This record gives sequence, C-alpha cells and structure tokens, in this order.
Amino acid sequence: MLNRRLTPLSRAGILAFIGFVLLILSRFVGELRNYQGAQVAVYVIAISSITLLTGYSGQISLGHGAVMAIGGYGAALSFSLWNFPFELAILFGAAVGTLSGFILGVAAARLSGPYLAGTTLALAVGLPTIADQFKVLGGEQGLSFDIGDAPTWVRKIGGADFTQYKWFFWICIIVALLSLWAITNLLHSNYGRNWRAARNNAVAASLAGINVARGKVLAFTVSSALASLAGALFGLLLGIVTPTAFPLSLSFAIVTGAVLAGVSNLAGSIVGAVVLVAIPEVSGALATHLGGSQKVTANLPGLVTSLLLILVVLFMPNGLRIKKFKGKK
Amino acid sequence: MFIDTLLIGISSGAIYSLMALALVLVWRSTRIVNFAQSGQAVLSTYIGYEITVKTHNYWISLPLAIVCGALIGSLVDLLFMRFLSKRIKSGPIAEIAPVIATLGLLGLIQSLIGLIWGNAFLQYASPLSAKGFTFGTHTVPFSPQNLFIVIASALVLGIFGVVFRFTNLGLSLRAASFAPEIAQLAGIRVGRVRNIGWSFAGAAGAVAGAVITPTSTLSPNSLDLLFVSGFIAAVIGGLDSLVGAVVGGLVLGIGFSFILQYISSSVTFLVGFIILMIVLLVRPRGIFGKGVGRNA
Repeated sequence: MLNRRLTPLSRAGILAFIGFVLLILSRFVGELRNYQGAQVAVYVIAISSITLLTGYSGQISLGHGAVMAIGGYGAALSFSLWNFPFELAILFGAAVGTLSGFILGVAAARLSGPYLAGTTLALAVGLPTIADQFKVLGGEQGLSFDIGDAPTWVRKIGGADFTQYKWFFWICIIVALLSLWAITNLLHSNYGRNWRAARNNAVAASLAGINVARGKVLAFTVSSALASLAGALFGLLLGIVTPTAFPLSLSFAIVTGAVLAGVSNLAGSIVGAVVLVAIPEVSGALATHLGGSQKVTANLPGLVTSLLLILVVLFMPNGLRIKKFKGKK
Repeated sequence: MFIDTLLIGISSGAIYSLMALALVLVWRSTRIVNFAQSGQAVLSTYIGYEITVKTHNYWISLPLAIVCGALIGSLVDLLFMRFLSKRIKSGPIAEIAPVIATLGLLGLIQSLIGLIWGNAFLQYASPLSAKGFTFGTHTVPFSPQNLFIVIASALVLGIFGVVFRFTNLGLSLRAASFAPEIAQLAGIRVGRVRNIGWSFAGAAGAVAGAVITPTSTLSPNSLDLLFVSGFIAAVIGGLDSLVGAVVGGLVLGIGFSFILQYISSSVTFLVGFIILMIVLLVRPRGIFGKGVGRNA
C-alpha cells in the first residue's frame, strides 16, 4: 500500500478498495466494534501525525494531545456556536490547529530533543486550562459536538439499520484513508525526502541546499494539521469536547502508539492504533481473570502500555523496519 | 498581602528548585532529561507514607524516604539507563529514545504504585500545622509546614552546594559530566560517579515529595505538575547550572504565587509555558547557562 514505486493514483485505488471492504464489513459487526473501528481510525490519524513529525522530521512532541484539543474545540465551537455543517466544522478545527501548529513549529524548529519534549509537555499541561478562562469555550462542561444521525441519502446507501456509530465509523474511516493517502504522497515527495535528509544529517542537508529550519516548521505544521483533524473526529466520537477529554495521557498514548510499531513506519501507525484500542479491552479481560479488584482493573492498562513501550524502546527501537533502515543507510 | 504572597511563593519555589536540581543533576551527568523523576519522587513519598502508617512518626519516615529515593535513582540508572545507552546509539529514534524510555518508566512506576496502594488520595500527615502563623489578629497563609519546606530545601541545596564545591566527590562529579573521557583517564570511575549523580537526584526528588505532600494529598500522579514546574525552572536557569536551578525555581515559584493571587489560578501553567517559550527563544542556554549550551 505504501510502496514508493506506486503512483498517487494507484495508491488511491488501493486505499479506496480497503475503504470499500471496511465499509461493507461495518454492516456485519456490532455497535461496539463499529465504535472501536472509528477509534482506531482516529488514532491512525493522530499516530501518523507523530510518525511524520518524529520519524521523518526528527522532532518530538509530547503536546499533541493539546493540538488535538485545539482541533476538537475549533470544530465544536464552529458547529455549536456558528451552526457550521459538521463537515465544515471538522475542516475548521483542522484549519485552526494548522495555524497554531505553524506558530508552535516556528518556536519548535529552534529547539531540540529534550527541550522540545519538555516545552510541548508544558503546553499539554497548560493549554486545556484556557477552556476555564473563556465562557465561550464552555468551561468544565465543555462544548457539545453532537452531529446526530446520518443524513437520509447516506442511510439509503447504508441500509435500514444504519446506526449513529456506523455513521461515525464511515466518517472516521473515510477521513483516515484520505489522510493516509495524502501523507504517503507527501512523504514520497521532495518534502519527505528533505525531511529525512535533514533528520539524518542536518549539516549535510543544508549543504545540499535544503532549508532545514523551514522543513522543520513545515513538518510541525502538517503534523499539527493531522493531529487537530484527529482531535475534531475525537470530539465527534465523544459527542462533546471538554478539557478533561484531552488529558496528558492522550499525548503520551499517541507517542506510544507511534513508537510501538517503529516510529518511521507509516503503515505501523495502523498497528499502533489497533494496539492502543485493544489494550484496555485485553487488559480488562485479563484483570477480570485475575480476580478483578478495583486496583488491578484501574492500573493494568497503564502497566501493559508502559511495559510494551519500554520493551519496544529497548529491544526494537526502530520498530520492525530496522533491517531495511540499515540497508538504505 | 504582598508579603504573604511572597512567602508562599518562596515556599513553592523551594520545592520547584529541588525538582529542578534533580533534573539538572541527571542532565549534567547523562544528557538525559529524566521524565521519570516525578515517578521516582512519588514512589519514595509512598514509601515514606507507608512508614508513617507503621510507625506514626513523620520524622522517622522522612530520612528513610530520602534514602529510598536515592536507592531508586541509583537502581534506575543501573538497571535501565546504562542498558538503554548501550543499546541505542543510532537510527531515527536515538535522540528521542531516552525521552520515550523515561516516559515509559514513569508510566510503569505510577501503575505499579496504583497496583500496590490504589489510586485513592491518601494523607501523608506531618506533625507540623498547615495553618498559617498568626501575628496579632492577622493570620498569614504561610504555615509552619511551609517554613519547614523552605528550611529543608535550603538545607538540601546547601549540602549539595558544599559537596559539589569542596569535596573530592563533587570535583569528580563535575569532571565526569564536563569531560567523561578525560575524567576517566584521570582515574575517575565515571560510571560509578554518574550513578552517584542519579542517586543524589533521586534523593532531591524524594525530599521535594516528602515535604510538599503533607500540604495536599498523595496519589500516583500528585507530583506530575511539580515535575513540569521543575522542568520550566531548570530551563529558566539553564539546564546545566545548579545555581540556575535554584534561582529558576524561586523565580517561578514567586511568579506563580503572584499570578495566583492577583490574576487567576487556572492560567498559571499557561503562563509557565509562555515563560518557557520566551526563555528558550530569547536565551536558549538559560539565565545561568554557560557557553554554547545546546546545539540546535
């Protein structure tokens, strides 16, 4: 799917086929699976924003949860206050996120490694508190982002029992596939090559005429666009955006998802997303098996995630593509 | 009112200084920002809490918590960080691997704490009153516990200052972080000295956790915000400078306290973020950083 020899058109064909299969599948699985499928799609977008940023441009962000919050709030605000149709609201959220990402990126391009990590961490802690300051953002209660049932023409295609969750699943899958298509093309273009060159050796890249700083800002901007798009969809899934919907742990979760499958592997974002959605369910089942006390149920998902993260960083730091990476070097 | 705010600011600034100091100690010796620092500190605070449950005496639990904090720091280095730095030297993840690994460690410590003690808020009580001193009819918000926080932090900072400045150990610590290869040639066991740096950092974090927790509650995440403040303080001071960490902590503590008093409680971290951005953009090596700090 992501092979570099493919043209954008053939990639579009393959992704459209996958999308078609998934949409057909959604008719045969239950409500919960549809919802989880939508969650996976949202995480795919969010994780691919980190993959692009960290794996290709070599920057790190522990604050992408905050960027997701910007997207979510942008979408919800335009939807509930200005009565935008939801498609436009999502795009509006992504646009606001892109703009903030550009501003952040200008600052981030001057920082490296742990400085950037700490600064974005401070952003993730600080930003959600804005919501309490402005009445228009709804404070603790947040803003409603309830798009209701699918329009009639969709229900005609989808069949009689086309529920809201199926509708969510369709929206998220289509947006995720479109984003994956766009990112793949971008990463295989000049821009993607320049990012990788600057990441591997900034001095050599700038000698070859690549504007390293501009590339970093662009990468942060594109990455924020994706993250805020994911944030808008995240709000749509929840039906509401609140300050607590975008906690610090969300920022950590998407970084975890990106690292789990190898941080410079775009297809890995799908694996990471599935793992992120599966961990609560698997560890929930495990907790019940272990006796299901409240302590175990509450902490097992965190334990499993952290252990996975540590093991992957220690033993497969470059994900499954490690051999390929060495070969190209 | 002004004096009250200042005093509270000094008290929280002292804690930020300790946390910043812990970060600086690790950064200087290993070029790693230890995101697990708040986890280590909260773990040693839980151990202190457990000891007060058994002995009903805060003054026994405090030194033991500090010792445990030092041990935890040393273990994290021995079992984890050495292994990590040996394994990961190149590849797209090399620069961010320590960040990811310490974050993973933070999650691991916090979920283990949750498994052992649960996620409920606990009270780690201190015999000192949390009620403010009263002068005549006026009660100030500055309490005996706040006074103790300031004294304990000053003591720890003073001890570290003396150790670094006047002892052989301090000299080798500085040498090992300044030029590891040359220090090794001069007969310093760099690995061991680094390990001591990690345990000092763990002890500083443990002091911060054990003296601040009696003023609020104890939970697996209760020191996370303290970590963020400590990081901002450390960067303001220049991640390399011990004096900078202390000054940065005090500046931030007093600044936060005035914002809390005169503007609003909920914008503090946003202001912290803005201060951090300004410092990093205007003077990336921090107020007390020397020479070429980081490479962009």
